[in-house]
Amino acid sequence: MSSTLQERAVRVTRPPLARRLMRRCAFDRFGAVYVWIAIIVVFCIWVPSTFATVTTVKQILNSNSISGIAALAITIPFCAGVFDLSFGYVMSLTGVTAAHFLVSGWSVTAAVAIALVVGLGMGLINAIVVVVMRIDSLIGTLATGSLMAAFITLTTQDIPINNPVLGGPFSDIGQETIAGVSLSVVYCLVIALGMWYFLEHTASGRRLYAAGFNLDAARLAGIRVNRMRFGALVTSGFVAGVAGIVLASTTASGTPDAGNDYLLPGFAAVFLGATQLNGRFNAWGTVIAVLLLGTGTIGLGLADAPAWAASMFVGIVLIAALAVTGLQRQSVGARSRWRDRVARLRGPRRQQGPAAA
Amino acid sequence: MDKGAVGTRPDDKEAAAYVGPVLRLEHVSKTFPGTRALDDVSLEIQPGEVHALVGSNGSGKSTLIKVLAGYHLPDPGATAAIDGEPLELGRGTDPRLRFVHQDLGLVLQLNAMDNIALRGAFVTGLSRRIKWRDQEQATRTLLDRFSVDLDIRRPLSEASPVDRTVVAIAAALEGWSGGRGVLVLDEPTAVLPPEEAERLFAIVRDLKRSGTSILYVSHRMHEIFDLADRVTVLRNGRVVATRDIASVDARQLANLMAGEDVDPDYRALVPARREDPVVLELREVCGGWLRGADLDVHRGEILGVAGFSGSGAEELTRAVAGASDRQLTGWIRMPQRSARWLDISRAETFDIPLVPADRGRHGVIAEFSVKENLTLSVLGRLGRRGRLSRGAESRATEDWIRRLSVKTTGPDAPITSLSGGNQQKVMIARCLLRDPQVLVLCEPTAGVDVAARVAIYDIIAQLARNGLTVIVSSSDLGDLVAICTRVVVMHHGRPVSELAGDGLSEHVLIHAMEGAQG
Repeated sequence: MSSTLQERAVRVTRPPLARRLMRRCAFDRFGAVYVWIAIIVVFCIWVPSTFATVTTVKQILNSNSISGIAALAITIPFCAGVFDLSFGYVMSLTGVTAAHFLVSGWSVTAAVAIALVVGLGMGLINAIVVVVMRIDSLIGTLATGSLMAAFITLTTQDIPINNPVLGGPFSDIGQETIAGVSLSVVYCLVIALGMWYFLEHTASGRRLYAAGFNLDAARLAGIRVNRMRFGALVTSGFVAGVAGIVLASTTASGTPDAGNDYLLPGFAAVFLGATQLNGRFNAWGTVIAVLLLGTGTIGLGLADAPAWAASMFVGIVLIAALAVTGLQRQSVGARSRWRDRVARLRGPRRQQGPAAA
Repeated sequence: MDKGAVGTRPDDKEAAAYVGPVLRLEHVSKTFPGTRALDDVSLEIQPGEVHALVGSNGSGKSTLIKVLAGYHLPDPGATAAIDGEPLELGRGTDPRLRFVHQDLGLVLQLNAMDNIALRGAFVTGLSRRIKWRDQEQATRTLLDRFSVDLDIRRPLSEASPVDRTVVAIAAALEGWSGGRGVLVLDEPTAVLPPEEAERLFAIVRDLKRSGTSILYVSHRMHEIFDLADRVTVLRNGRVVATRDIASVDARQLANLMAGEDVDPDYRALVPARREDPVVLELREVCGGWLRGADLDVHRGEILGVAGFSGSGAEELTRAVAGASDRQLTGWIRMPQRSARWLDISRAETFDIPLVPADRGRHGVIAEFSVKENLTLSVLGRLGRRGRLSRGAESRATEDWIRRLSVKTTGPDAPITSLSGGNQQKVMIARCLLRDPQVLVLCEPTAGVDVAARVAIYDIIAQLARNGLTVIVSSSDLGDLVAICTRVVVMHHGRPVSELAGDGLSEHVLIHAMEGAQG
């Protein structure tokens, strides 16, 4: 445990395969996967007739893909150490935008392109507010979100846009299925794959993490930290825009408050995901977390659990995951603190000798 | 004045019965992951004495103060007694120990009255309403003792630094009779100009006369000889010696601080480079502590920038790397690259890497592995078109781990599992990977143990022999003496004298620094 023991000479040989595999599958890296499996087993026993079916699997995937895209959208700014609280409003705004232009007679491609540009623009506004104007991201994106909400109400009068046009080719974007799995699941996976590659395998991804963990150190190491944070917020706006379009396509409507429901589950998934794999905010961790939370929610629905059970489930899982990780993170410090405490409890007895002498 | 009664104050009879040290610490150790900040420290403070605690950066002074103040729990085995009664360390603050921390712990947006009342209690009437008139009266009575001329209704941000320090002392003493207890002053003059520091000394002497014991933390020699009765020297977390101030002189004290751990005669033996071309020039750099500093740096020299805190020494080195957090004005150029002078605010375009003074806050990224920390500044080079090559990254890491003999279990070990010295080597390697012409080091050996310290000296010397220009600032004069080929002494924000590296000793350097100050 002492510092000298930890610093042995550089070991060039790799540890044996068995140990590497053990480490790879360790609970602190894949805890959520094990919990997920446990949840599946519980529901398979609880409601075997409805839960353990292919339909349920498809339902879990399809109904969580948009949550997945939304959660991935905010994973990137979190890596860079900034919040994006406005992503729910960006989703609503892009959905309403796409619907509005479709109803006005524009082509699907044009309407989707405009909606994507709107998402990108919202990300740009967030980036300017947070990075250029140096407003704390928590407050800054709360404010921009509020402005977006105002704009949505201004243009739609809070009346959902429903029109047969929306049920046409536009609805295929999210509803088209391949072997029962909707295209939205594919989008989610593609975005996750791209983000994983960017974060794990590119220099910019590493710089993004550095800026998020220790801004001063990153800056001194020659990293343009503002560029990192700017890019993260713009990307977040864009990906949230994608989520909004897919959502509008899936529901075949432009609903002014469609994105609001994704705010809290999105954050829950990102924080839960950050406890997985490498212990940082990361793409696959977020995906695993969305699946875990989604499976629990749908399972509870199938088991006819009361309406409050789903929210309660999300809350409990989140607190449990963060508590367990917190304990592991501080393990070195905590272990020594615990040793201190234990030693202190035993201390008086042990120290009686010299004190009396 | 003495309105807030202190419950644990012993009554007079008891106090008279007990003769002996006011505060006694025995076997206090504190281990952090990777470092042993305090190692079996024992200390006694007598009634009514000013006890100086000295030591260079990373010697454990602040850790000891934090243990006393209850921030850190010491390792098991430590015992302490205050006024003859056992004291449990690391369990909140005993009311008989009063602290004025280095940052003073004041709320600058509030006025003196509020700040003092926050420590003790507001004078309240029925329904908990603050009686502002009585409160003001109480504050005035308290501050009168220090003959301070201060508008107690204006925010402290408008007060002078010394007035703030006085308010902090008054706040610390709030509700205390000054009897059996200890007032801890942690580097109270660190940010005070010399003429204002005099006023603080008068207050310290006054407090002493009234029977208060004071633990005075400082590394300014002349203050210690002016004020202290006894002095305890810390080095690498251990007590080197406790002496009566009358029995030591500045030279002996400096030697004690430098300690025998590092051979005081260790010299890196880098040839002086006066004839070599100038690679870096600074002109009229102002801002922060700096008031028109000029600097010429030759190729391959190790230039030390010395000076007491507040002299601008550290600020100047940071300015070179474009890492100052103040608005600076002035000019910088690297004549071999371009004859054009650049505004100092654009210094970062020269890409001069800096090893920061505060490794934990500005250097190490705790969540990263050794590899990720080491390669951070050159990620663009390790791979093609933005894709990181795992192989190139591992090769670079293993190469530098070997070259600087970093002790680690491997490139993927968490950086926090390394000792302070090895973390510092990783920080140096991070800078060297950038292939710099000039390297800036702030506090290169802070929190670094003895063996690693010499290893770091050797690394820096070897680099300089190969033509790298190094600029060093350090509050540990041993660093400057050991490696520098030339030392510039700063005072009041500009260089005032210059010492050649060979034949330099800590004594000579301290003398020059104090001469500058006097």
